[in-house]
Amino acid sequence: MNASHSPSSQQSPQSLHGSPGTDDPAVVVTRISDTSWQAVQDDRVVGSGDASRRPDGRLFVSADAWHGPVFDRLVAAMAADLPEPLHTVTDETDHDTTAAWQRAGFTTVRREWGYLLPTDPQATGLGPVRPPAGVTIVPAGEAEEGPLRALDRVIHAEVEAGIGWPAMPAQVLPCPAGTTVLDPARYAVARRGDHYVGLLRVAPVRRPRIGLLAVRADHQRLGIARALLAHALESMHRGGTTTAWADVAESNTAATALVEGIGARRAGATLELVRH
Amino acid sequence: MTKTTNGIEVEGTVIECLRNANFKVELPNGHVVLAHISGKVRKNHIKILPHDRVLVELSPYDLTRGRIRYRYRS
Repeated sequence: MNASHSPSSQQSPQSLHGSPGTDDPAVVVTRISDTSWQAVQDDRVVGSGDASRRPDGRLFVSADAWHGPVFDRLVAAMAADLPEPLHTVTDETDHDTTAAWQRAGFTTVRREWGYLLPTDPQATGLGPVRPPAGVTIVPAGEAEEGPLRALDRVIHAEVEAGIGWPAMPAQVLPCPAGTTVLDPARYAVARRGDHYVGLLRVAPVRRPRIGLLAVRADHQRLGIARALLAHALESMHRGGTTTAWADVAESNTAATALVEGIGARRAGATLELVRH
Repeated sequence: MTKTTNGIEVEGTVIECLRNANFKVELPNGHVVLAHISGKVRKNHIKILPHDRVLVELSPYDLTRGRIRYRYRS
């Protein structure tokens, strides 16, 4: 982690947090680096915490402990060391962990649905879908890096000028200008004339994940995103993949309508919690 | 003051995804433990699926329970 991404702190590493007034005076929480904390009891590590700053500037924390009181001590120590706001994420079905963060003053600010998308055109109904007139789909691996990078910059600028990164799914991370690594093998793009106007990125994991689906603002509402999705899912289907994964912010009604309209089903949800 | 985690860490294979973000993980000795995802794995939005190889830290208080600390790429 470079210095610009280090969480700022009011205390130096190795700061100690005793436990006066708590149920378990033997637990000592220690900040062992800019980004790490440990809870120790009877010379045994009984909990650990971590902080990391995302490229959009938000500071995310995590904590693990086998017992609730240790978790509470750990999070309290981290909160005392770090500037607010602090963010964290939990699985919506993990009620215990969510409740633990809420005890520490965190509140839910957004939800991200995890969708399982069928790839079979007969299931999605996307078989007959074609791109709008004048637009062609360039398969993954065939896009030119220069125009792809230009489109990526335009889309990043539009996000920053619009809804902002905090409202985007976690996989869609902003990167500083010039550092974005684009692997054309992962991108299918929509081309109009000499320009790329939309893209779809598939993460190469065992169950393919649609990491980003975006169309330039001046080319939206034309069916380009739907055509890109149809192309990508059909390609996966031909390759023997039956389902793909996509994360969609609950507030993004256009995206949720698109995936639910092709038969995607919700397979989970991630909550983002914040302490101000 | 820095200590390494002195719990028991062992590789295993995810055999079932359960509700409440829990997983059944089979260890090399054939034992099956109930494991949840560590906060760091969750924070990094790493998806855990059946057949994934994972590193599990067993609870020192209950060796049938654990925490998934890492998912291997292959």
